[in-house]
Amino acid sequence: MKLRTSKYVVKEGLINAYRNKLMSLASVGVVTASMIILGVFLAVAINLSYNTQKLSEQPQIVVFCDHELDNKQIKQIEETIKSDSRVKKYTYVSKEEALEKAKAKLEGDNDIFEGLGDEFLPVSFIIELNNLKEAENLALAFKAIQGVSSVRYSQERIDIILKVATWVQIGNVILVIILLAIAMFIIANTIKLTVFARRKEINIMKYIGATDWFIRWPFIVEGVIIGLIGAIIGFVAISIFYGVASSKLAEGIGILTFVSLGGLQFEVGYTFGLVGIVVGVLGSTISIRKYLHV
Amino acid sequence: MVEFRAVTKEYSNGTMALKNVNINITKGEFAFIVGQSGSGKSTMLKLILKEEDPSSGEVFVNGYNVSALKRKEIPYLRRSLGTVFQDFRLLPNKTVYENVAFTMQITEALPKEIRRQVPMSLALVGLSKKANVYPRQLSGGEQQRVALARALVNNPPLLIADEPTGNLDPETSWEIMKLLSEVNCRGTTVIVATHEKSIVDRMKRRVIAIDKGSIVRDQKKGQYEDEVKNKQVCG
Repeated sequence: MKLRTSKYVVKEGLINAYRNKLMSLASVGVVTASMIILGVFLAVAINLSYNTQKLSEQPQIVVFCDHELDNKQIKQIEETIKSDSRVKKYTYVSKEEALEKAKAKLEGDNDIFEGLGDEFLPVSFIIELNNLKEAENLALAFKAIQGVSSVRYSQERIDIILKVATWVQIGNVILVIILLAIAMFIIANTIKLTVFARRKEINIMKYIGATDWFIRWPFIVEGVIIGLIGAIIGFVAISIFYGVASSKLAEGIGILTFVSLGGLQFEVGYTFGLVGIVVGVLGSTISIRKYLHV
Repeated sequence: MVEFRAVTKEYSNGTMALKNVNINITKGEFAFIVGQSGSGKSTMLKLILKEEDPSSGEVFVNGYNVSALKRKEIPYLRRSLGTVFQDFRLLPNKTVYENVAFTMQITEALPKEIRRQVPMSLALVGLSKKANVYPRQLSGGEQQRVALARALVNNPPLLIADEPTGNLDPETSWEIMKLLSEVNCRGTTVIVATHEKSIVDRMKRRVIAIDKGSIVRDQKKGQYEDEVKNKQVCG
């Protein structure tokens, strides 16, 4: 396409969007509404996956050594843990640290430890896994190491986290796909009205020898403009709504942590931008197809 | 210029629009295609513009084998000929000037070219003063002249007119015909489909008469009907 044709295409798209003000406004409204619904789902989805992520990052397996082991033996156990490919990350907890922790837990009643050293406490390793599903096998394997007195892990909690995470992901994907399809359908229909109103023009253009792309481009530009304006309005609305809602909800529900507004805006921003453009392009292309066959 | 070779057209609903039509219109000719509505003359124009494809036979226009043309190539065929319709088909949101210039924009012509050609074309049809007016502000005759300017702006070797005077009063019709005649004098081949007897008779040009899908008469300097039954008609 030559530069002057690109200029024509953009100008024509803008003029058309402006000339059909009412129709464009209606389309923008539809896009905005769809974007807001999509945005609410996105916000919920992002926060859910953020929270499951946080949950799964908590220590998953704790390996306790016999408290009589010497440093060399402990080193050996550490090597075994270190070399296991299923381990993502581990933390060494020394006897002193264990005592500190125990004291912290008992807070005011520190007198209990009066006169006691840390000898009776075991060295332990806090282990994070690459894959939560391997927790059970790994726990059994570690238990078999010589010098390990016990392995603690919460199968139940891990199971729940796993289930929730999977279902949240599946649910998200399905909902987002359905929503996108609905938004696209509505927008395609709205643009179809604009195209229908101008079917005569399209017909004339075909008769004087315009190529399909020459006719199609301005409509695509128009669709993208509508899609993007709708996305921007939706984005602003969601940002305001989320800012208010997340702070209110955070007060009410203590266990949940909310993604910061900035973090959400980033995800929602590029999703909306992309969806706006794609929906505009596809909406126009689908709507104009029928009228190009003259 | 335009050649039909054994062309038959049957529409999908079973209507036989053309039956084994053979015609050859050479460069520089001015030809009328006459016949009742439903006789098949519109179908002939549709085949020339590749709005429809023949069921059998071949159509050649400006060196294109139209029947073998791919969808993608249709715009280039249409650019090689100017078309005028009964209902003018001007773009309502563009001024007279823009309407004519648009035909050149489509071909990605240079802006310099456009600025030179459009006023020339408008001058030819005598509408230079109405360049910045919208089509709805013009009379039917003026609108058809804009359509004519648009059809001619790319200097096509062939001009097709489908009932160009169908919506116009006799006086204006005659002016349009005079314009077409003038265009023909400058070397453009002109084909006019019409059922207006008076005009055909007055022009004394080649007449191809079509009835129920068959060519019934092809006559140089012809008239609408075989014999001149009504002498007063001639002017």
